[in-house]
Amino acid sequence: MSTFFGRFLNILDYAISSLARNFGKNCSIFILFTLVIFLFASFQLMTGSLTALAEKILVTAPDITVQQMSAGRQVAVAGAAKERLAGILGVKKVSERIWGYYFDEASGANYTVIGLTPSPGAGDEGSWPGVAEGRLLLPHDRGKVVVSRDIRETLGLDDRRHFSLFRPDLSMASFETVGTFAEKLDLLTADVILMTLADARDLFAIEPGLVTDLLVTVANPQELDTIAGKIAGILPGVRVITRNQIRKTYNVVFSWRSGLGAICLLTALAAFAIFAWDRASGLSREEVREVGILKVLGWQTEDIILLRFCESAVISLLAFLTGFLLAWIHVAVFQGTFLRQVLLGWSVLRPSGAFTVQFAFADLLLIFSISVLPYLCATAVPAWRAAVVRADEVI
Amino acid sequence: MRPSIILMLVLSGYVLLYGLFFLVPGAGQSAEQAADIRLMQEAAAKFALSDLALSTEARYTRHPAVSDPVVVTMDHPGALDHFPSTLFWAPGGRRL
Repeated sequence: MSTFFGRFLNILDYAISSLARNFGKNCSIFILFTLVIFLFASFQLMTGSLTALAEKILVTAPDITVQQMSAGRQVAVAGAAKERLAGILGVKKVSERIWGYYFDEASGANYTVIGLTPSPGAGDEGSWPGVAEGRLLLPHDRGKVVVSRDIRETLGLDDRRHFSLFRPDLSMASFETVGTFAEKLDLLTADVILMTLADARDLFAIEPGLVTDLLVTVANPQELDTIAGKIAGILPGVRVITRNQIRKTYNVVFSWRSGLGAICLLTALAAFAIFAWDRASGLSREEVREVGILKVLGWQTEDIILLRFCESAVISLLAFLTGFLLAWIHVAVFQGTFLRQVLLGWSVLRPSGAFTVQFAFADLLLIFSISVLPYLCATAVPAWRAAVVRADEVI
Repeated sequence: MRPSIILMLVLSGYVLLYGLFFLVPGAGQSAEQAADIRLMQEAAAKFALSDLALSTEARYTRHPAVSDPVVVTMDHPGALDHFPSTLFWAPGGRRL
């Protein structure tokens, strides 16, 4: 055993010295390989972080969301349906919600306007850490809103509290900001303007008696799917979205995202594998002579294959460790600066600090499997071809 | 010193760095992160939020969970889907 280990260490020593002799060539391979692994790992860590966050945060999303569909598109639902839903056994509460998007032409930002009936006593929670300044909405509030810090900046409010938005008929609706969401909630509220149901109805000019959707709270979560089925039976043409479906959507969305990203990056990996193959198979005269001399000195074919394997393993292992570490720093410290634009799109408003990286051994193993192993395979055949050179032909 | 020993030292350095980046900050931040996530869960419940405000440029990227399942040609027949982020957003995930 110790003889085998000693022999392996000697070959490893020789492999490292050999790498150092061709420093320029090996350094370029190392840098390219590190870059490919860095991109792969950054993408994986970013999507993994978002999936984990969505999974954790959306456990408190509405139990059931009911939307009316017409001609394949969402339309307003009659608030009268609320009573029919409330009559279903197991339904604890049904709330109305009006929500929509407001495009601010001046800044190019899209705001998400959410109109809800505030629960009594909500405004008393002045110390709720979700509101950094001011308070939440009260049931009797009119023309009052809670906005995010980003929206305050986009609207250029500074110390002012009042701003106006256009109704569909281009008349102005005035609002007073009574609270600002804490930065910690940016991931959920970066573009949210929260107002009362009546104000949202007025802003979007939605007819009385209509709402965007109905939110159903069920008493027993075990009955969620059964109640969702009953709702679909009672109200024709509605789309019933359960909390589990919302969470599943995010899992699918991020899997899709990372999958498509990985496919794009696979071309980079394939290009690198071709480059590595080319470099490994294009033996220079010096390298061929070196193999010949080693054979004359008594090295066997398997020793030379092991030598080439050690060279490839050292380069790929160091590139893997460096690339993954850089990707970790890139995502955890710099919030994925290089890939952020691609992942988060063209949004004007976007959350700060969206990525909270969590160590997962599966990520490490995945990146290792799709980077180091293909590289070792790509260099295996050239290594064998180099090892079977006849000493008398090359010296 | 033998090159293989230097390599082992370099690898040990990496193990130390990995430990430093993965384990130490994780242990220090976990309580704070858990508090932030609890706060976001409260907000999602309080304001009936169903989606993360990640890509806010279009409704199908802002609210993939509750907006129309078919996004291309949604605005008018033949409309081109022009936001790059939709390349990565799977429409109608809830149906899969």
